[in-house]
Amino acid sequence: MSEPARRAPRRDLPIPAYRSGASPLHRARAGVTASLCLALALVCMLFADPLVLATAIAAVSAAGVAAGVGREIKRAALLSLPLVLLVAVVNPLVYREGDTLLVRGGEILGRRMDITLEALVAGGLAGLRVAAIVMAFGLFSACVDPDELLRLFRRFSYRSALTGALATRLVPVLARDALRMGDAARCRPTRPEPAEERGRTGRWARWRSSPGRRPASAAVVRVAVARAALSGALDRAVEVAAALEVRGYSVGGRPPRSREPWSRHDLRVAAAALAVASAAVACKLMGVGQVQVYPRIEMGVGPPEALLCAVVLIAAVALPFGGRGARLGVARA
Amino acid sequence: MARAWGWLVLETAIVVAEGLSYRYPERDAPALLDVTLALDRGGFTLLAGESGSGKSTLLRALCGLVPHFHGGEVAGELTVAGMSVRDHGPGELAAACGTVFQDPETQVVMGGVRAELSLPLEHRGETPAAIARAVEEVALALGIADLLDRRTDTLSGGELQRVAIAAALVHRPALLVLDEPTSQLDPVAGDELIWLLRRLNEEWGTAVVIAEHRIERCLPAADRVLALEDGAVVLDAAPREFLDWAVATGGNLATPVARLFSLAGLRPLPTSVKEARDGLRAAGLAPGAGIGEHVAPQAGDDDARAGNPGARSWRDRWRRSAASDAPVAVAAHGIWHEIADGPTVLRDVDLRAEPGERIALMGRNGAGKSTLLRHLKGLVAPTRGRVEAAGEVALLLQNPGDYLIHDHVVEEAGVGALAAAGLAERPDANPRDLSGGERQRLALEVVLSGERPCAAVCLDEPTRGMDRVHREALVGRIGALAAGGAAVIVATHDTEFAAAFADRVVLMGDGVVIADGAPAELLAGGWHFSTEVARALDGAGGALAPEHGAELIERELVR
Repeated sequence: MSEPARRAPRRDLPIPAYRSGASPLHRARAGVTASLCLALALVCMLFADPLVLATAIAAVSAAGVAAGVGREIKRAALLSLPLVLLVAVVNPLVYREGDTLLVRGGEILGRRMDITLEALVAGGLAGLRVAAIVMAFGLFSACVDPDELLRLFRRFSYRSALTGALATRLVPVLARDALRMGDAARCRPTRPEPAEERGRTGRWARWRSSPGRRPASAAVVRVAVARAALSGALDRAVEVAAALEVRGYSVGGRPPRSREPWSRHDLRVAAAALAVASAAVACKLMGVGQVQVYPRIEMGVGPPEALLCAVVLIAAVALPFGGRGARLGVARA
Repeated sequence: MARAWGWLVLETAIVVAEGLSYRYPERDAPALLDVTLALDRGGFTLLAGESGSGKSTLLRALCGLVPHFHGGEVAGELTVAGMSVRDHGPGELAAACGTVFQDPETQVVMGGVRAELSLPLEHRGETPAAIARAVEEVALALGIADLLDRRTDTLSGGELQRVAIAAALVHRPALLVLDEPTSQLDPVAGDELIWLLRRLNEEWGTAVVIAEHRIERCLPAADRVLALEDGAVVLDAAPREFLDWAVATGGNLATPVARLFSLAGLRPLPTSVKEARDGLRAAGLAPGAGIGEHVAPQAGDDDARAGNPGARSWRDRWRRSAASDAPVAVAAHGIWHEIADGPTVLRDVDLRAEPGERIALMGRNGAGKSTLLRHLKGLVAPTRGRVEAAGEVALLLQNPGDYLIHDHVVEEAGVGALAAAGLAERPDANPRDLSGGERQRLALEVVLSGERPCAAVCLDEPTRGMDRVHREALVGRIGALAAGGAAVIVATHDTEFAAAFADRVVLMGDGVVIADGAPAELLAGGWHFSTEVARALDGAGGALAPEHGAELIERELVR
């Protein structure tokens, strides 16, 4: 009997990247889809309320799954994890405000290391906000065609937009370079250090050739690879710059405006973006979703907050993806 | 340079250089030295020369990157389509000159194919309607219409290179310059690309200037050859005259069939396989039918092995492997590589390499060669099957620069390895300053620099962009490794190189081994996977190299 087949993991890049797709978010024009992602990010920036932030995360995740980029959203969430943890851990250690003392620590460098419930909650909320914003930009990276975005901005600041688009495109290229260099590093055998062979006499050389010195650790090789990948990025950038030069970049002027009719996807996604942004701004102005952490935790959880969450969720998911119109392909309005 | 026909005045030369010299910043030696030439409109010119002879620099001068992008010192004059390169930068010259570089990945700047093709026209301020039409037309002309809506990072090397050529041609420049465009392609894609360029040259009248190490691939399409040496043009001639010169000056730039004819004392030297066959017929030798009938080595024949060390029957080999008494250096047993939500890259692959064996692993792009080598090294785990190795397996991946991560070459591999790489005199050089061949040699020594000798050494496409001199040096190094007891397995598209070093060829297709045998069997009777000499002789006598083919011809002529 043959052994069960294990599938080799796909060697994906650790960053969300755009892939063309057939979902409404992919079919809508880049500026419109970008607006929806930015509107969701705006919600996260305006509110610290955990219910609203959780709703934003849910809306981004649901929109991502419906658009077929759930994997990219997951990748964005994983990417945000170190930063989220950093914020969540550092905040309670740095801030001593808050009335509810959880841990009374000793003094370090003349500063008391007390941990309060309020600082802990504030760290958690800040981490949640970071995660939500990174995920919204993950949705942006996965669903917005950078080429179209460049086309959108080229009338305002062509070269800046092109530079930005190229920088974005270089990221996956450099990530692939780093993967390749990592493989090459794994092919390097352990070997005696060269300094002792060369008979150098400096302090550095004596340390390198000292009998007790261990071969370079994996971490040291990893640092060397990272350094080489970084310096290789410069070479890559120069090559791309040369390619741009011979495509006439330096004489590029402002291109003529193109007018395309709005598709039903454009309209639905734009309506979703408008609804999310309007609801967020209006609620902020009305004082909905206020959170006070210090000195005591106070947060509004009531019908207004629930209404805001419902609007965000329905607008971001149901408007672009719900109904027959979303399934009608690319038919123009 | 101008020809007047009544009211119509045509500039016949697209490129005119007069005493052009150039030196890169912080370099002592000039990269171009007193270059004087005139290239006609609608011509197909091949730049030939060894590594570092100045081919790439001349191409970069034609598109204005030299001196405007790279800096440095220029003397003399160079005009392209009437524009002086001194006064006009790459952006202005781009109107007349399309440029394609060696690495397609770094010259494709946009995320989508359609956007990539539109970019040069957008730079020129064309209207959306004009852009749409030009993109459609160039895509149809280059056979990439089905790629227009693809993302550039999903394209294969051959597709990317076609897209890069389309982007260079979309505004219909009068001149197209290409720097080793086939170096990353398999033989099929490489040949297709050259004939595509020839068609563009004939149908659109686009002047083509191409630099290539695989001269035999381009020579049949070329009208003219410029040979460069140390930055100077040492020959400017028609292909046949170029071959006479190349043979007379040592043969490093001569094509295999030209060397075959030269060694056999036949004239004129052929510029293509077709001309070689015609030449053989003219000499009373019918390729395939006549030559070698009486001297063709039989599989398993000891004499044949003496004539061509690679000539062993694969049936014999299979029987020998089945007996399994012979020691194994490295072996793959029923290897599968299946990617989650993706293709199956390897399907039940068996490969057994014995100590001292030299195996060429061949097949088109995506056949699974590189993945198999990664399995042998243990970089990836098979989804099914297992790898058996008698010791350490060294693997040199496709980009030697990836192995060079320090600031000084001595830190990469140690003094002994530097000597083996021919870099003993330059221990403090920065690896980035090394030439392609030097990087390749150093990276090979890096992977071989373990404390114990390797049981097997695997090389992945080691001859990309390598000239014949360096290829021959690599053949020698492989021979030394095999003589030291290591099995050497090389994934390569280069049939001439495979014929030179291998005693066994394994042909892969779509993740399976489709043929496994002696080079004389596999490379003599193939279509694309055969050497130029074998194609000229129609596989007669299993001759792969010019020397062996010439012996065969001489025996026929004497008889």
